[in-house]
Amino acid sequence: MFLHNYIYRLKCIVRDRELMFWTLFFPIILATFFNLAYANLSEAEKFAPINIAVVDNKEYQKNAPFQRVLKSLSTTSDDKDEEGIFNIRYTTKEEGDKLLNDKEIEGYIYCDNGIKLVIKESGLNQTILKNFIDEFKQTSSTVETIMEHNPESMHSGLLDRIGHRTNFLKEVAPSKSSPDTVVNYFYTLIAMACMYGGFWGLKEVTAIQPNLSPQGARINVAPIHRFKVVIVCILAAISVQLFEIILLLAYLTLVLKISVGNQIGYIILTCIVGTITGVTYGAFISSIIKEEGLKIGALIGSSMTMSFLAGMMYDKMKYIISTRAPILGYVNPVNLITDCFYSLYYYDTNSRFFTNIVILCVFIAIFSLCTYLVLRRQRYASL
Amino acid sequence: MYNNILGVFILVIKVDNLTKRYGNLIALDHFNLEVNQGEIFGLLGPNGSGKTTAINCILSLLKYDKGTVEIFNKPMAPDAYDIKKDIGLVMQNVAIFDELTVYENVDYFCGLYIKDRNHRRELVEQAIDFVSIGYYKDFYPKKLSGGLLRRLNIACGIAHQPKLIILDEPTVAVDPQSRSNILEGIQRLNKAGATILYTSHYMEEVEQICTRIAIMDKGRIIATGTKEQLKAMISSGEKIRVELFDMDDNILQDLKKLPHIVSVEYEDNFLIVKSSRGKNNLLAVLDYLKSNNIAFGKIYSEPPTLNDVFLEITGKELRD
Repeated sequence: MFLHNYIYRLKCIVRDRELMFWTLFFPIILATFFNLAYANLSEAEKFAPINIAVVDNKEYQKNAPFQRVLKSLSTTSDDKDEEGIFNIRYTTKEEGDKLLNDKEIEGYIYCDNGIKLVIKESGLNQTILKNFIDEFKQTSSTVETIMEHNPESMHSGLLDRIGHRTNFLKEVAPSKSSPDTVVNYFYTLIAMACMYGGFWGLKEVTAIQPNLSPQGARINVAPIHRFKVVIVCILAAISVQLFEIILLLAYLTLVLKISVGNQIGYIILTCIVGTITGVTYGAFISSIIKEEGLKIGALIGSSMTMSFLAGMMYDKMKYIISTRAPILGYVNPVNLITDCFYSLYYYDTNSRFFTNIVILCVFIAIFSLCTYLVLRRQRYASL
Repeated sequence: MYNNILGVFILVIKVDNLTKRYGNLIALDHFNLEVNQGEIFGLLGPNGSGKTTAINCILSLLKYDKGTVEIFNKPMAPDAYDIKKDIGLVMQNVAIFDELTVYENVDYFCGLYIKDRNHRRELVEQAIDFVSIGYYKDFYPKKLSGGLLRRLNIACGIAHQPKLIILDEPTVAVDPQSRSNILEGIQRLNKAGATILYTSHYMEEVEQICTRIAIMDKGRIIATGTKEQLKAMISSGEKIRVELFDMDDNILQDLKKLPHIVSVEYEDNFLIVKSSRGKNNLLAVLDYLKSNNIAFGKIYSEPPTLNDVFLEITGKELRD
């Protein structure tokens, strides 16, 4: 009896083309668009060497300290431990003007009664370039002044101290993985797909409730305990949804090369708990709302709101919620599922991951209990 | 047919004093019903008279305020699985899954009653043959016409070969050919041993197949009996309809003076003369028209119908 019911419920779910689109193909399509949209986002955040030109005239040739500093900061520097800030070309002034007009360089430096900078636009790269030159001029002037008035002090280490910058902040990496704001979009997408499992929960509860569908009435006059049918239906929904989530995960990791870390067991656990959360959420919505359009609207509306608050449309939202209304993060299943994936990817410890899993299990218990309380009615006031 | 070997009626359904309210509206008002084994029992009433509510209460799908329901001499309850296994339900709305084929739908619902796969396969094949949809068994419901869907709906309700089959308006929105097929099928099910409770607002169907009929109005049973017994309850008998194009009050007055006339009316170019029960006035009416040189067209003589019964008891047409 169990297998008979289970197989037929699987058939009913898998053959529902409309819901298969929303629960399987829609997240895959959305992931593809995310990938197209965010592919260069991480690259854009990385620092790229600034293209500049230096006019190689006589005055520049005489300024050996400036040459040394520029060389140490250029991409052709011998110091391979640090990437160079500037990508330098040596040109004439005319060539420099032409390169600047053609936007091949951000600015050029030429020495004519001092170091001068020529730029055409203002921006971050131009600001870095100007700050560098200002700092060099300031430091040169300081050294020249000390040499003029107190040359002895230069031998007692003052020169080193002038050039030394003390950083009072210590950088500690919380994980082996580098921070990546883009992966969070994809984790939110997986979480949203988990919550779309609610469509199956909604469909299954509707199919067995006599006050929601004629099929439900027919099932309820059969000599079979209602909860056996409910459990079979929910199991079938979870099976299909879990399979869809695994497919989505495979697409993200194998095709789009999105990293989810390497803790496969915990990743599968997140998928299972997320799927059950979604399916039971849909069952809960279906049991408390009678009108078909309203329950679908409630499911889509709430899932999208939760996804938005978890940062699917705006990556800073997750940060805003965690700083200004952290409770919203804890009562948002999409955020909890997203955070499970992110903590597996980013953190070396699993305490945050397990906190999220436990809260999700509490949600599953609440949704299931509420659904049970509504479905346990055996007779209805109206059909 | 209705009794066991001792000649005693065996009650399959016994409903006593059932009352169901929706707020201030009384949907079932002290509703009583007794259906005997082997009957095709018709529950006839206009839309909104409470037929479907009565069925849902009998099946323990709906809560009711008062009364008792017994099926197979046992109290009916939502968890009365020993009763439910012998009941088949064909609902007014088609209750099937669009994602399953014709065969799979019948197999799914039959599987809620029959565990043995081989036995179930036989039953499913029989049910599909019974409603003549074998050609369509691999079709999905969306490919079927309204009439075929109704037949599939019936197959899903009867595949497990129940002892009691409840059919709630199974012919609504069905073409005449499918309707005829469905009605013949119900009679065959009855001959095969099933007791049938059949609800409809089509008096012709109920008259055609039911052995006993209860007429319902406003949640109450207003009359019960065979169709002959019901027709015998009313004062009017034969109804004569004569097509007349020229009419005056004198004709009406003269005809009313004929013996055994209950009423004389003129509507839509037709003179309608109703005789008292058991009396015939056709010849007398024709004699009057001929002797007075009154031109007339078509003539119909009709026995009383269940609509006349309903009209006389409630003062309104069955289809109002």
